[in-house]
This record gives sequence, structure tokens and C-alpha cells, in this order.
Amino acid sequence: MQETILLMKGIRKAFPGVQALDGVDLEVRPGEVMALVGENGAGKSTLIKILAGTYRLDEGEIYIGGQQVHLRGPKHARDLGVSVIYQELNLAEQISVAENIFAGREFKNKLGLIDYKTLYANAQKWLDTLHITGVNPRDEIRSLSIAKKQMVEIAKAISLDSNIIVMDEPTSSLPTVTTKSTDLNEVQVLLEMVDKLRKRGKAIIYISHRMDEIFRISDRITVMRDGKLIGVKNTGETNPDEIVSMMVGRDLKDMYGRPKAPAIGDVVLEVRNLNQGHRLKDISFNVRAGEVLGIAGLVGAGRSETARAVFGADARDTGQVFMNGKEVHITSPDHAIRAGLGYLPEDRKKAGLFLKMAVKTNVSAANLGAVSNGGWLNNATEERISREYVKSLNIRTPSIDQLSKNLSGGNQQKVVIAKWLTLKPKVLIVDEPTRGIDVGAKIEIYNLIHQMAEQGVAVVMISSELPEILGMSDRIVVLREGRLVGELDRKDATEEKIMMLATGVTSEVLV
Amino acid sequence: MKSDKTMTPPAETKRATFLHAVAGRLGWLFRVREAGIAAVVLILILFLTLATDNFGNAENLAIVARQIALVSILAMGMTLVILLGGIDLSVGSVVVITAVLIGKAMVNMALPIPLSILIGLGVGALAGFINGMLITRTGVPPFIITLGMMGLARGAALVITKGNSISGFPKPYLEIGQGYLGPVPYPVIIAAVLALLTHIMLSRTTFGRRIYLVGSNEEAALLSGVNVNRMKVIVYTLCSMFAATEAVVETARFSTAMGNAGTGYELTAIGAVIIGGASMNGGEGSVIGTLLGATLLGLINNGLIQLGVSSYWQQVFSGSIIILAVALDTWRRRSK
Repeated sequence: MQETILLMKGIRKAFPGVQALDGVDLEVRPGEVMALVGENGAGKSTLIKILAGTYRLDEGEIYIGGQQVHLRGPKHARDLGVSVIYQELNLAEQISVAENIFAGREFKNKLGLIDYKTLYANAQKWLDTLHITGVNPRDEIRSLSIAKKQMVEIAKAISLDSNIIVMDEPTSSLPTVTTKSTDLNEVQVLLEMVDKLRKRGKAIIYISHRMDEIFRISDRITVMRDGKLIGVKNTGETNPDEIVSMMVGRDLKDMYGRPKAPAIGDVVLEVRNLNQGHRLKDISFNVRAGEVLGIAGLVGAGRSETARAVFGADARDTGQVFMNGKEVHITSPDHAIRAGLGYLPEDRKKAGLFLKMAVKTNVSAANLGAVSNGGWLNNATEERISREYVKSLNIRTPSIDQLSKNLSGGNQQKVVIAKWLTLKPKVLIVDEPTRGIDVGAKIEIYNLIHQMAEQGVAVVMISSELPEILGMSDRIVVLREGRLVGELDRKDATEEKIMMLATGVTSEVLV
Repeated sequence: MKSDKTMTPPAETKRATFLHAVAGRLGWLFRVREAGIAAVVLILILFLTLATDNFGNAENLAIVARQIALVSILAMGMTLVILLGGIDLSVGSVVVITAVLIGKAMVNMALPIPLSILIGLGVGALAGFINGMLITRTGVPPFIITLGMMGLARGAALVITKGNSISGFPKPYLEIGQGYLGPVPYPVIIAAVLALLTHIMLSRTTFGRRIYLVGSNEEAALLSGVNVNRMKVIVYTLCSMFAATEAVVETARFSTAMGNAGTGYELTAIGAVIIGGASMNGGEGSVIGTLLGATLLGLINNGLIQLGVSSYWQQVFSGSIIILAVALDTWRRRSK
């Protein structure tokens, strides 16, 4: 066995009212990828922030390279060789790759001005060392994709000579793609980079919700729950089911919990020949009452664009929308709502929630008519309806007056779902409904979607997670480059078939 | 991570319920964002009453109240715009163009008083409507559009008056600005009524709720079926109508209309709203806060005069107060 480079022992940390960490251990060796998993709120972020020097620990010991250390702050942690690459990436968007890599360590010439030639040359050297292609040191950060930005963060970490690299959900904003054709796939590139770092002898702490990645890349897995260490497993000796049940503290036979025979009714929503610039071309599909229609495709294939165009959030060039066989002319979300549609947007915080508003205000936001009389708000009705949904959707909030920004991701998503349920929609389009939320809340949302379908709602589900699409949908349509390229029935659909359609790569290449 | 596993032992339940009920009744005093500024206003009133000879007498109080009323009317319109996540720099100029046109109508053309006032309010509404339409149709930020309207409306006023002032308003009209109901000046009553209506509109109607929704998250409001563009046009129109109302009261108060009056009004109005705890990002703020903000600014102006401080210093103080208020509010939010 190799020696330990990082040892965190008996770490305890309390916040007002919460014991965030209750005696957690973490041990990582050089040349190892240690996956750190747990539901949201399990304490992963707190543990990492202690390692990064952002939080002080209450109790416990930290050893780096065998030496006990008392972290004084983020800079101290960095000097000791700890680099943390946060989910939201800490890069300055409007300056160059090279300036970001060497932020705070610029090369100066004799006049005290920045020596750009040396700066770019050195940045290129680090990019080359890591075989990062497609990134120019002169590029502005904002011109790069999320995956490329992560590469820049990694180059920065390596240039700082960090031996412990923490990656906090690096792929949460990237599409899951499970093909073997690497050039299409940003996740693949990222995972290969992690492997390269491992081969250079770095110790990597990899935080992710995605089981497939964890099992592809990690050597060991540390599982946390409710601020406690649940266990450490060798990746080769466990399986995703075991890890998930360790995370949630119970067995999960079938996450998607789909009822066996859904009663599928008539066509409720039909979209014909939807066109929008060069983004959407001739898209036609329908969805029936009680059915879950999955829309699969790579990022940029036009899935959200289709949803937004149908919902009237974006203009379309041509295209007809029929509800129960009758054509409806939807030119704004307002029209769409009146026609019986609902749309749960992809970006919960940007487009779904009113973060600074109370839970009850969010629940009533799309259906002010139901909580008012002639334009006058009826607070009692608003509170009653809001309490009903908080209860029936099991939204965990201290009160309906709580600001929605203070809720966890899963509960926030349930608030947005409640907002649409108050309207009793005939069709509900859900766009990445479980992105960035923990396993427990995911299951609750899957159950909600099933319940809606059982009540006769036609559900359209857009998702980048193939297991989710496969587990939930009765039927799947696949988009590629703005076109609908195929339709698969539940019983014929496989990840491979969807990916072939989504990427346009033929099976011979894939195998 | 939230833990609400606090259990109340049965014996204490009764007391806790009672305390909870009391806190429910009075707790708002401590919770509301306006509490801090209200405290400052009270302290300032107390200080000025004790430290100066004339602050507390009826005559001066009427002057202060009238001044605060004028600022409040303007600031209430600004509150709506800021709640929506916008800004309106043109209110001072709208005051001027309205004042000048009312003067033209009433003095030069001898039109009836009610008709002249209606013309004034109509002009205000039109200016705001143009602001709103330009903002929603061109997508140019409100800051730029209303900056343009600021120059445009003032320029128009100067063109119309050729730089001269209009005076000689009829006596009954001047009552609006100079008269009293008992000890209370009419402008104060007008401001109070408008404040009450605006407060009810914001807190009790779906229209008010939609203003908060748009200001809180425009995209989410749109996707929730709010007609965001229509809301913007209406709110900018309302804001300018508040400015026009202020113009009516002001011309009646000073019995004159000038093309070069009203400079810096937009800053005073924005200042009052911001001191009152509104967020420049929209979605946060209230009429009560704005009234307190306007009161604070009015008290500082009057207090400095009473204390014998040069009027040139007033703006220095007002500016400092704005920075201090926002800094304190930002700090308070961060510490939560």
C-alpha cells in the first residue's frame, strides 16, 4: 500500500442549529481517485471547504504528507498543495486563459508591466504538459465551453504544483454521454484528464452524483450521510446499488418506480412542423394523456429550444400546435398556460424560481387567478393552497413563508412543480427535472411525474441522463442538430440506440 | 441544511404558544427591514426637537412635511420602477415639462383648472408610456432610454418657455400647494392618499404581486405567464404620472413653472427608495420604506438649515446617508 498524502480525522463542524460534520474521516493516497459521495446536505461541501481553508474545523486533525497542519485560510491550503475546483468555477470570465492560470503570479518585465510573451508561453507549456488541446492561452475564458474551463482550472492547479486536487461535481453541467467516440464527448475528455492526473501521482478527490462516472474513474469511494462517514469501499468490490443504498440509508430496488401498465389515452398535445431559424427544423411529435414522452439528445440538439418554442417563450418561424385535436395559437407563455400547458425550465434558479420570494409566493406565481378575486389577492386562499401542496409534495420547509433560496435543490424543484400543479395542466413539459439534486429527492420527483401521468397528464420529459430517460419514458424521441431523428418505444430503447441516433455515429464505429 | 427538530416540552407549550402569539403581533417590528430606518428617523426627530429652537414649531413642521410630501410622491413612482428591476432618470424632466404645459394651459391659454391638470397628467402618462414602449420594444436598458427622455423632456420644456418662467396661476389652483386641512397641508394629504393606494396596490392586488415577480426574476415571471412587457409599460407610465402629480403640487406650491427647475429630482427620488431598503436589482422594497427614506432626507435638509449649516452641505450629507444606508443594508443581508 502507498503512503497517505491526506488524512482528515474526526472532523467535526457545527453551524447554528446544525451539526454539519460529526466525526468524519477522509484518507487519500497519491495516484488515487477517491470518490466522495452523499446526498445534498450530507456534508461533502463542508468537508471540502474545511480542506480548502474556507471554514475552520471545530474538532479534528488534518495531516498533509504526514505532517499535522492547522489551516489558516484558503491561501495557506493552496500553499500546502490543495487545489479545489468548484462546480461554479472560479475563473475571471473576461480575461485570458493564461492570465487566469497565473492569476496573482504574473510575470513582470523590467518596467513592472505584465510580460505577456512569457505569460502566454508558460501557459502554453502547462496546457501542453497536460495535452489539453483546443484551448489557446490568449482565449478569453467566456469563449470556452464549461469542459474547457475545467481544463484551465486543472492546468492552474497543476501549475501551482498541487498534490491534492478536489473536483466538486465537475460534470454536473455536462451532458452524460456513454458512447466510446471520444471526440464527441466532453465528459470523456474530463475523465481522461482525471486519469492523467492520477498517473502523475496526484491525489484526486472526486465529488459527483453520477454513479457511472464514479465507477469508471474512482479507485475507492467514501460515502457520507447526515454529516457522518458511512463507509469506504474499494470501487472494484462494490456496485452502484450498494453505494446508493449507503447514501440514502435504504435499499433502492428500482429508482424510477414505474407502474407496470400505464393507461395511455388520446393524443393531447400535437406539434407539427416546428421550425425556428437554423435551430429547429421540421419537428413533429405528439404526446398522449397518461404518457411520459422522453426527449433525448446531446446538449445543443434543440431539446429545450423545442420546449420553449412550443410554450411560447421563444418565437417560432412556422409550426402548428394542437391541443386535444384543436389548433391553438400560442405566442406567449401566458397563452400556453391558458391552453393547458406547463413548463418546468431547465435552469431552476434562473428561470424557475423566485429565489428572494416566499415558498407560497412561488407556488401561486403562475396561477394568481386562483388566489384572487377581481384582482384582489386572497391571502387565506393563497396560504391554504400553498400548504396543501407543501404537504402533498412533501416539500421540506420550516414554513410557507420561508424564502425559496433557503431550500435545498430538491425542495426548490418541488416548489416549481407545485407551481405548475396548481394549474392542473393537461401537458407538463419538464426540462432536466432532476439536475443537481440528490438521489432521495430525485426519487420523489420521479414518483410525482408518475402520479401526474396516472392522473392523465401528458408529460414531456427532457433529460440528459440516459438511465433517467430510459427508466421513465413510455416513448422516446431523439433530436440531433435541431431535427427529430428517431422515435423509440420503451421496450426497444437502449442507451446504445439512443446514442447512435443522438450522435449520428453508426454502430460499427461504436462497437 | 436545516434542522427543525427542536421539541417543546408539553409543560412549556402553553407559554410558548402565548409568547409566539405576542411575537406574531409585535415581531414584525423587529423583523421588517424598515425597522432600522424608522429608528433612525425617530432619533433624528428627537435630536432636532431638542437641539434646535424652531424645528418643533407648527410652522416648521408644516414646511418639513410639505417638502417630504413632494419628494414622496415622486419617490413612490420610482419605487414601482425599482421594484420591477428598472430605473427612471427622467422623472425630474417630466416634472418640468408637465409644470410648463400646465402653466401654458392655465395661465397663457386660460383653460379651466381641472382640464389643465388633466392635460398635465396626460403629458406625464405619455412620457412614461414612451419610456416603457422604447424599453420593451428596443431592448435598450432603462438607464439609457430614460436618460434620453431626461434630456428630451427638459429640452422640450426650455423650447416651450424659451427659458422664461411662467407665473400667475389662479388662486384656487394655488390652494392645492399652499392650503391646509386643519393643521395639515394639502400636499401632505395628497401624498398620504397616494401612499395608501400604492401600498394597497402593491400588497393586496395581483397587479402589485406581478411587479414583485417581474422584479424578482423576469425570466421566471415570463414563464409563469406574466405579460412582462405590458407590466413594464404600465409601470413606467405610472411612474411618470406620479411625477406629473408632483408637478401639479409643486407649481401650486411655488406658483411658478420654470424650464430649468427639477434638476436632481431623480437622484433624490432614487435616494429615498434606496434608503428605504429597496434593492436596485428589483423585487425588494416597499412604500413604507420609501416614505421613511423620503422623511429621512427631508429631515436632514431641514435639520441642517435649523442647525445653521450652509445649504451647500446638504447634498454632501444626503449623499453620505445614501451610501451609509445601502452599506448597512448590504452588511445586514450578508450577515444573515
